[in-house]
Amino acid sequence: MNSTKPTIKVRSKDVIFIHWFNAFFWLTLVLTGFGIISGDFVRLAPAFWPTFMQNLFGGNDSLALMHALGGMLWAGVIAVYAVLNFKRVVLPFLKNVLVLTPKAALADLSSMTITLAHLFGLLKGKKVPPQGRYNGAQRLLGTMIIACSVAIAVTGLYLFLAPIMFEFSASALFGLAFRWALVIHVAAVLLVLLGLVAHIYFAVVEEPESLETMKSGNAEVAFIKHHNPLWYEELQREGKV
Amino acid sequence: MVAKYVMLADTTRCIDCKACEVACRAEWDTPLGHSRDWVKQVEYLNSKGMPEVQLFPGRCQHCDDAPCVEACPSGASWKREDGIVLVDDSTCSGCELCVPACPYDARWLNPVTNTISKCTFCQPRIDQGLQPACVATCVGRALIFGDANDPNSEVSRLLGEKEWQRLITDEVNIGPNHYYFTAGKAIPQEVMPKLHERHLAGKTIENIVNPLGAIGIGGMMAVFLGAGIKKLVDRRKDVSEKEGSHEQH
Repeated sequence: MNSTKPTIKVRSKDVIFIHWFNAFFWLTLVLTGFGIISGDFVRLAPAFWPTFMQNLFGGNDSLALMHALGGMLWAGVIAVYAVLNFKRVVLPFLKNVLVLTPKAALADLSSMTITLAHLFGLLKGKKVPPQGRYNGAQRLLGTMIIACSVAIAVTGLYLFLAPIMFEFSASALFGLAFRWALVIHVAAVLLVLLGLVAHIYFAVVEEPESLETMKSGNAEVAFIKHHNPLWYEELQREGKV
Repeated sequence: MVAKYVMLADTTRCIDCKACEVACRAEWDTPLGHSRDWVKQVEYLNSKGMPEVQLFPGRCQHCDDAPCVEACPSGASWKREDGIVLVDDSTCSGCELCVPACPYDARWLNPVTNTISKCTFCQPRIDQGLQPACVATCVGRALIFGDANDPNSEVSRLLGEKEWQRLITDEVNIGPNHYYFTAGKAIPQEVMPKLHERHLAGKTIENIVNPLGAIGIGGMMAVFLGAGIKKLVDRRKDVSEKEGSHEQH
């Protein structure tokens, strides 16, 4: 980052660590998860991928075990971090990012549509409404990721523990819950992956400043003023800029 | 050449003594009320109006295109090179997604292991050069097992000598490797395969979640690839315009 431009510290080291921890585990869990699902009717990855991953891990039981252990580590670390830093990090983050009302969702959808249209030189006359710390697309993606992550963690735990803890033959409900947990698990992962395409594109191509912030913790004041004017005003009121 | 194991059942020699079922249940220690093989009795009136019984020894048909393997999410159901369809107990969760997929109702949830059980042609026995337990014990020599790829095997000889039929219909023809000799009699509808079905959850993944996921992720990648290319083109245009204006100055 150019040291001559004024910057402000906007992310602490622990938040940066959790972000990259989350990213690393997402990558490994997606790669291993697509390797587990093998049957042609239910598999999404090309057929070579489960074969490659299962050979690499010495069988699908080892691969599934590693995936489950990785998933529990991912969910466990984030859950513990969230509990320990609830007031300082999680609550402010949730307040900023959660889209809870239809009105807020419509406003965010509208600003996201304009942003997307601008990428292709469309709707040039329409300005993106002033944004806070997170823009419309980030808020929608954030809300989706939070909801999907909870669903993935809960269903993942059931998929791993249910065959160990419950006797499926004792009640048809155990198997029924297992099959639908699998549906929710896969659907939630695919939804997040869909959003991650946009997230990675914006971080790498459109706004590399955001990526830099997620590495150093510092953001250029001018960037905030231009992209997130409502947040800039907030920082001004707090005397931080 | 890799072996291709097949089972032949001569229905004219079967006497419904249930020795095959007893041998199978003893070999595999199956729980009460469960068996990996069976003999189905079909009673009907023949063309002369006389009652007749046909006996059909049945088990997993070890199909070439086994839908149970395709429905299994964890790869626990798999097919060996020699055609035997197996279930890996250490990977099977007992989710039963494969159970309705089998058109021959050959799979069931084992209440002891909580995994899926089915006939494996007694794979551990045949790997030791033995016959499957049901074949070894068949009193009437109605069951014959062997390698159809070995021209000198008994099954190859019998397949060439007699008219064998398989349990297939126009709707369900997935290459079963179990043959029946009925001495020219038609196979009754009762033993024909049912249309293979799938649990709603399996169908949801196959027909909704996966296609929407593929279209969605593919669409997003196409959109942002387009946006990236446009950005690159715009930037090149900007640079060449700036260079042009520099040269003019």
